[in-house]
Amino acid sequence: MKYLSISKIRRLFLFATVLYLMQSGPAFAQPIRAIATWPALADLTKQVGKQLVTVESLATGVEDAHGVAMKPSFVPRLNRADVLVLIGLDDEHSWLPALLEVAGNPKILQGRPGYIDCSVGIPILEAPERMDRAEGDLHPKGNPHYLLDPVRAKIAVQNIAAGLSRNFPQYRTEFDKNAKAYIAELDNWIDRWKKMATPLKGVKFVEYHPEWVYLADRFGMQRVGSVELKPGVEPTPNHIVDLVQTIKEQKAQLLMFGAQNPRIPQQIAGETGVKVLRLYSGGGNRPETDSYIKWIDYTIRTLVQAVT
Amino acid sequence: MGYLNCTGPGGRVRIALLLVALVTSPAWAQQDVIEYMKKALSDVNAKLDSALKRIDQLEKEKAAASAKASETQQTETSARLDNVEKSVQALQSAPTALNPSIGLVIDATAEHRAKTGGQFNFRAAEMGIAASVDPFARAYSFITGSRDGIDVEEAAAVTSSLPWNLTVKGGRFFADFGRYPKVHDHELPFVNRPLSIERPIGGESQADGVETSYLFPTPFFLRGTVGAYNKVGAENDRVDNEKSRSWGRFSFLGRLATYFDVTDSHNLELGSSLVYTPEVRINGRKEFRALSGVDLTYRYQPLESFVYQGFTLGNELLVNSECVERDVGCARRLSVGGYSYGELKLNKTWSTGFLFDYAPKISSPGKKTIGYSPFLTWNISEFNRLRFQFTHADDHARENKDENGNQFFLQWTTVIGAHTHGFLGR
Repeated sequence: MKYLSISKIRRLFLFATVLYLMQSGPAFAQPIRAIATWPALADLTKQVGKQLVTVESLATGVEDAHGVAMKPSFVPRLNRADVLVLIGLDDEHSWLPALLEVAGNPKILQGRPGYIDCSVGIPILEAPERMDRAEGDLHPKGNPHYLLDPVRAKIAVQNIAAGLSRNFPQYRTEFDKNAKAYIAELDNWIDRWKKMATPLKGVKFVEYHPEWVYLADRFGMQRVGSVELKPGVEPTPNHIVDLVQTIKEQKAQLLMFGAQNPRIPQQIAGETGVKVLRLYSGGGNRPETDSYIKWIDYTIRTLVQAVT
Repeated sequence: MGYLNCTGPGGRVRIALLLVALVTSPAWAQQDVIEYMKKALSDVNAKLDSALKRIDQLEKEKAAASAKASETQQTETSARLDNVEKSVQALQSAPTALNPSIGLVIDATAEHRAKTGGQFNFRAAEMGIAASVDPFARAYSFITGSRDGIDVEEAAAVTSSLPWNLTVKGGRFFADFGRYPKVHDHELPFVNRPLSIERPIGGESQADGVETSYLFPTPFFLRGTVGAYNKVGAENDRVDNEKSRSWGRFSFLGRLATYFDVTDSHNLELGSSLVYTPEVRINGRKEFRALSGVDLTYRYQPLESFVYQGFTLGNELLVNSECVERDVGCARRLSVGGYSYGELKLNKTWSTGFLFDYAPKISSPGKKTIGYSPFLTWNISEFNRLRFQFTHADDHARENKDENGNQFFLQWTTVIGAHTHGFLGR
């Protein structure tokens, strides 16, 4: 029988150690790996975690809120994450659950400590009164686009701080301190935005998909219609005719759309003269929107410029 | 110049003395006093204005502070109320919350085939049920009713909390072979399963057995699967699914799949699979069988316009190798087939594409069927779809009359309730 030499045993041991480290990562302190579904959430997480976390966003911010491609390249990133920060309210339902199924990371599955749902405690708008797909692609728990309201975003910041503290209680003081400082900064900006957004009060608008309700609610804008027939359902020709009529009667000033096809908004603008604005409900991707504050600031500035 | 202070303590006495002096003084002196009083009054007015302005300012500050406090309080109160509301809802829905998600897919076609005529074809009603079993596993099932009866297409448990990036699946499920062999018929981008898959696999890659997947700890997606099954293929009637057997007569699978983002908008998915059955008995003679496949999918998925623009090019090559035992050695049979399709998204609801299918007969590889199928899909909504397809097939395999000549299909697929086939069906 041939015995293994000492050098072979050493090599085997070294190989096994490398495999183990590849699998589990080194045990020494390293930044907390956070994955956020959207860039705005990634920024909020960074503001709370500061140097203690590294954050990556899965979506870039220009995608349709409910049409993010389910890319396998997201899987290794989810696999390595310590925490997952998401919008919740089924915002990511079309792509995230299936990715989590194959990511092989029990820490960030729904219900586990690493699953940080930022919607907890958010005062919800547009919770459906009737659950029926005849009403379109409904969000049973309510409209998930609450990050467009900076006051509600403060609750998301608190949720992130609580979520990070739940997973890493040794840093609770830092997370709470950072969250408080950021909320104070947001408060200053909110005062500024309220003054800046004075011209938006009473402005009537049309949106492609119901994603601007929280912003409108905060700054006193008034929605008069949606391009989609029902949430997630493309318009019929009759619906467009009705919408054109509504825009004319109500004297709507703006038509906002994001990652949807610009053809229909342009057609409606041609018939009504309504001002068409392409604004993204996810933040990120461009220098003027690469942080939460910049994104909201850019959005409000663009809206104000459009109506003044 | 100093002024007489009329506003401080004793101011009124001073004003009274001035008035007395005014009444009793000569005219020139009275003029001076009047001037003096005017200045004094103007001074009072100025100070009064200043005081009023200060009061206004303080009131505004107070109002702003109170509004801010009220807003914060309101948000916190709403948050608390919402939490309470959620708890109440959770309690109210508790009896139903543990029920699994249930959905139903109805898939029907109107068909006309040049060789056999037309028919309305109720292809399937597929009921999907899925839920977590416990913190360690989830389970799902797809039960399908069709003209052939009711069949459990899939019913499997999948681990959700295994360490070391491992996932184990057991029960009846679609084995992780290739790209489309493991996808349900109604989820294909075209009406019919390509014959190049249908013939070597026997329909979908349905298998009773166990499968283990491992996600490699690499910066890019790399996933490996190994599995052992009674057989692979729902309609693979060469192997019995019920009898006990020796280990040499199971089917064993290996698959490696990877994915690369070439850019943000362009990506490639590559996989290779092998199913090996050491011993198959056909007509009393021993065979071994190896079915291997390579699949390559290119996708153009522009981030900003993914919902209404995009292009997919999918290709799959399958090689079936069988060795039939002879008195001396064995006779090898090799058949190579595959399909290629392209699909262009025209807008959110419409897409069109073309499928080319090259399918040899596995028992007689020289005989083959070549199909050309343009198709047009209208996604009325996420849950309601119409698809029109024309197929022209040059059939030399002569396995089924239906598979020859011109064929027209109008497919209507609808979904109610919860329905998802997860990551593999993306």
